[in-house]
Amino acid sequence: MTTEIRLPPLPRPVPALTCDPGAISSCGADLLAASAQVDDLGTFVAGPARLGDWSGDAATAYHRAIAPTGRRADAMSLALRGVAHRVEEHSAEMQRLLDRRAGLEDRHQHLAQQIAHLRAEVATTTVEGAAELQADCDRVTGQVQAYETDLDTWASDLATEESEMSQAFTRVLDADDVERLYGGVADPADDALRDKPAAGASPTDVHDWWVALTPAQRRAVIAASPGSIGNLDGIPAAARHAANTVSLGRDLADYAHTDAAGVLTDDERTWYENARAADDARREIEGRHDPVTGEPIVAQVYIYDPAAFGGDGAVAISAGDLDTADNVAVVVPGLGTDGESAPYQADRAATLYESTRALDPSASNASMFWIGYDAPDNAPWDEGVDGAGVVAETMATAGGERLADTIDGLRASREDDPAHLTAIGHSYGSTTTGHGAHDEGLDVDDIVFVGSPGVGGDTDHASDTGIDPDHVWAGSNSRDPVADLGNHGWVHGETVLGAGLGDDPAEDDFGANRFQAESETRGGLFSFGDHSKYFDHDTESLYNISHIVNGDYDAVQHAEHIHDPFLGGPHDPEYDRDPTSPATSTLTP
Amino acid sequence: MEVVPVSVGEASRAWDEQHLDLDAAAAQIADADPSGFTGNVRGSATRFLTQWERHAESLGTVSEQRADGLRTTVSDYVTSDEATRGDLVRLASYLHEVR
Repeated sequence: MTTEIRLPPLPRPVPALTCDPGAISSCGADLLAASAQVDDLGTFVAGPARLGDWSGDAATAYHRAIAPTGRRADAMSLALRGVAHRVEEHSAEMQRLLDRRAGLEDRHQHLAQQIAHLRAEVATTTVEGAAELQADCDRVTGQVQAYETDLDTWASDLATEESEMSQAFTRVLDADDVERLYGGVADPADDALRDKPAAGASPTDVHDWWVALTPAQRRAVIAASPGSIGNLDGIPAAARHAANTVSLGRDLADYAHTDAAGVLTDDERTWYENARAADDARREIEGRHDPVTGEPIVAQVYIYDPAAFGGDGAVAISAGDLDTADNVAVVVPGLGTDGESAPYQADRAATLYESTRALDPSASNASMFWIGYDAPDNAPWDEGVDGAGVVAETMATAGGERLADTIDGLRASREDDPAHLTAIGHSYGSTTTGHGAHDEGLDVDDIVFVGSPGVGGDTDHASDTGIDPDHVWAGSNSRDPVADLGNHGWVHGETVLGAGLGDDPAEDDFGANRFQAESETRGGLFSFGDHSKYFDHDTESLYNISHIVNGDYDAVQHAEHIHDPFLGGPHDPEYDRDPTSPATSTLTP
Repeated sequence: MEVVPVSVGEASRAWDEQHLDLDAAAAQIADADPSGFTGNVRGSATRFLTQWERHAESLGTVSEQRADGLRTTVSDYVTSDEATRGDLVRLASYLHEVR
């Protein structure tokens, strides 16, 4: 007696899907930046292009003639912005479709294996086993049917998405279509910007304004007026990043075109270089990978102003999401820093991000380099001016105020979900951080000074920072000559000449926690190279900074303080200790 | 002939800037890369980019024409009998396109 077994049908393979959501997103970003440029024309026609002090027939004719240009520019900017936003959505949807396709392909492969197995079973089954085998076949048949249904849904969703994207492109192809759909339409950004808090408003007021806007208004403001919120404290980091990305894209296109036309001014050339450095910095971070997930690190452009500080430029970019990270670190650089050094600082921020993630994969992190103040960027013997500021605290005082504003902004945008926040001052940046803490009351959980030439003349003790001294930290490589510049003991530059940048935070009298920060590659008696190793992977310094940033205080390797006896010079016990190389670039077991 | 104030010369420069900016926007649209789209969408994307490059260029051309028109106004005025020496001094720098 033979028994017939009904095998499951073979599932259809998943069709290929060839697209690049990253490239689609980049295309959308270009369109959004271009829309901002077109929007500027509309704003210009409605404002500065109107000449109130000019009268007569020629003036009347001029004003009559420009009105349609303004209307056309407004309509075109709205149309282009709409397409740009749709392209962004398309990028996200295509990524979801790719992910769904990968899931379907896994299911297809699994089903094919199951069916092959069942086919082999059928060939050898007995009459007694037939019923059980048929039940298995029926179960797999059900799975194939579910898969086929999901495959059809996926294919339908893909076709719908492609169709809608194509329609978004074609419905505003011609100028007539643009006028018909957008002519005279109010820009959602206009009402939103009308209610924007005045200059000088607190970050909390700014944040309250922003969260009260509709999603459509927020997207409109980002596109139409990115400069009005890109660097505004209280605006969430994701929105600042979106706005600054528009500004950066527009600037790069603008300066490149002007340069090609041969009419770039000297100032513009400097701003162009700063813009390109900011772009390189962003790419540096995005090109690195999270050591836990293997995914590219998220970059957020938190500050972007290529013309700030007389052309030195202001830029701050985070490795990691500042809006959601459990632990946020703000790295304040010092001597030699300006907008053009952004890629170098981005490498440090990304390295710190990698280290903090590797040492505590359970926590989320964001590490931001902050060139948000006019740092001493030139040695005085080279170019004068800024470099001269290194020996004084003027720039650190002003920078401390700006740093406090940035910290307040970070706090205000996360009132309901505060991060563990650490300010890290390196070199002259530690002087700036010290001033921010002492003068402005930095609202941070921990302060780290590394390679410090002094933390400001008024900060004589860790408690003067306004932070619990248990949360004030100092890292000082015994060979670092800059770290040796801080005041020691009773007799020093400040007491004798009124000069210097304040006390050495690694000295015992200062009252901070000193952590180990020697390097296995340290130099001889003094080595300027050691001033730049604090953020290198697999160093004591980065290991300990990362644990502080993560709030893992028990894991920090403490070091003995520098001591300056009444008689004789300062003594650094770290000088004779053999340095170690704790792992920071790989996951801890 | 009505007096032409300095603001007219300044506006001509500002229109020149708009012209430059819009040409830059046109170039940015032209350089936007449609290769990431699927084959079913790429055609309409490419057509859109081509068309909108022209739209942006067109706005730039209009801006340039406004700038040129205002410069002509300034030029006509300073060469007329009604312009004073003071007018000439104030408006002379706006007679030529800087960029």
